[in-house]
Amino acid sequence: MHDHPLDLIAAFADGSLSDEAEARALVESCPECREEYRTQTEVIGWLAATPTAEMTDLEKAALHRDLWTEFRRQPGKSPATPWWQRLAYVAAGLFVTVGLVSVLNNDTLNGGADSGANTTADGAFDAPTEETPFVAQGSDDGESAPEMTTETTAAATATTAAAGAGGEESFALPFAELAEEARANQADRALTEGTDRDVEACMARVALDEHVVVDEIDLDQIYLLVMPADPEAEPIVTFVVLPRCEIVYVG
Amino acid sequence: MTVPGKEAELLTRVVSGDRDAFDAVMRNHEDRVFSVCLRILGDREKALDATQETFLTVFRKAGQFQGRSAVGTWIYRIAVNTCYDQLRRAKRRPSESLPEHVDPSDPSAEEAIESAALRPEIEAALAELPPDFRNAVVLSDLEGLSLPEAAEILGVPIGTVKSRVFRGRRLLAKQLGNQIDQ
Ligand SMILES: [Zn+2]
Repeated sequence: MHDHPLDLIAAFADGSLSDEAEARALVESCPECREEYRTQTEVIGWLAATPTAEMTDLEKAALHRDLWTEFRRQPGKSPATPWWQRLAYVAAGLFVTVGLVSVLNNDTLNGGADSGANTTADGAFDAPTEETPFVAQGSDDGESAPEMTTETTAAATATTAAAGAGGEESFALPFAELAEEARANQADRALTEGTDRDVEACMARVALDEHVVVDEIDLDQIYLLVMPADPEAEPIVTFVVLPRCEIVYVG
Repeated sequence: MTVPGKEAELLTRVVSGDRDAFDAVMRNHEDRVFSVCLRILGDREKALDATQETFLTVFRKAGQFQGRSAVGTWIYRIAVNTCYDQLRRAKRRPSESLPEHVDPSDPSAEEAIESAALRPEIEAALAELPPDFRNAVVLSDLEGLSLPEAAEILGVPIGTVKSRVFRGRRLLAKQLGNQIDQ
């Protein structure tokens, strides 16, 4: 018996401990500590799988326009801009916006012709891990969270556009359909696939031992499509990437 | 990534009324400011308002920036405080309507709104959290900021942020457990 050091376990779960030995030992030996670890890991996974919120191009244009209108009311501070010039700014903003949207759409169509599906899939899987510090566990490659940049925003927009406009088969968005299909296939495929020891060990490590691997998607890495073993359970889809053994998507 | 010293210099130019400098500061931070506001307020229109108010405050207070933290940290702190004020001022009413600003013919609008949506059960659970816990979880686990940065933004010690994040996650798990886990 011990006082379960839950905050230590929680810090272990989000990878912020410099020395993990004690926490790791507790998670392995104590059911309560293990439960705390599972809880923290699970919530981190849910949140990490959430896409970054973005303004639309027009929302952004409106924000800039409204701000400069406001600034003009601030006495003596803002550089005075004549009304006709402001109008020109807004018009130019809209022009750029429309141009950007069409460029993105063109890129999408061009990209979709060859490796479009692959690129889209990569973007969709990797986006959550790249933009959050979440590393499920056991991985010490210490990927950091890069700052949100214009490039990432543009890439994300392009990915979304690709999925929306392409209409080709891709893994970017149709998670609902994937889940449906996975559930249908679950019964006959669950026990014949993913039984190899590495997969099982990984599933236990990311606390998905009551789940089954319903599909393996072989891209640049192997993505395991994981669902609850219980067919009555809500069909939450988790993607685990091998050999790193990290949860990259929950939804 | 922006160079901290360069950003501080931008703020100095903002104080002297340099429009381009302010545009540059906005470009560097508007996405994350909006994202933070949306997660905290849970409403797109309010988040857009809060984003606007944040940058108005940044503009007004640019001269007070001391350079003790990164410009970004200073701005996100203003954003979080703006959201606190909004929450304090008005009881939250979930709004189904699209924000006024969105042009219905804007092809990117619907996608952006869809992709920004949290799963409804997560959003609801997040909204139930006490604001202190919610903000800590938003900054750390949704926005991916480091604990020291989140601490700076929230104006509390790192240990406090940590324990808020941990407890926030536990509360989320409790609320979501029945829906997602079983
Ligand atoms: Zn224990």
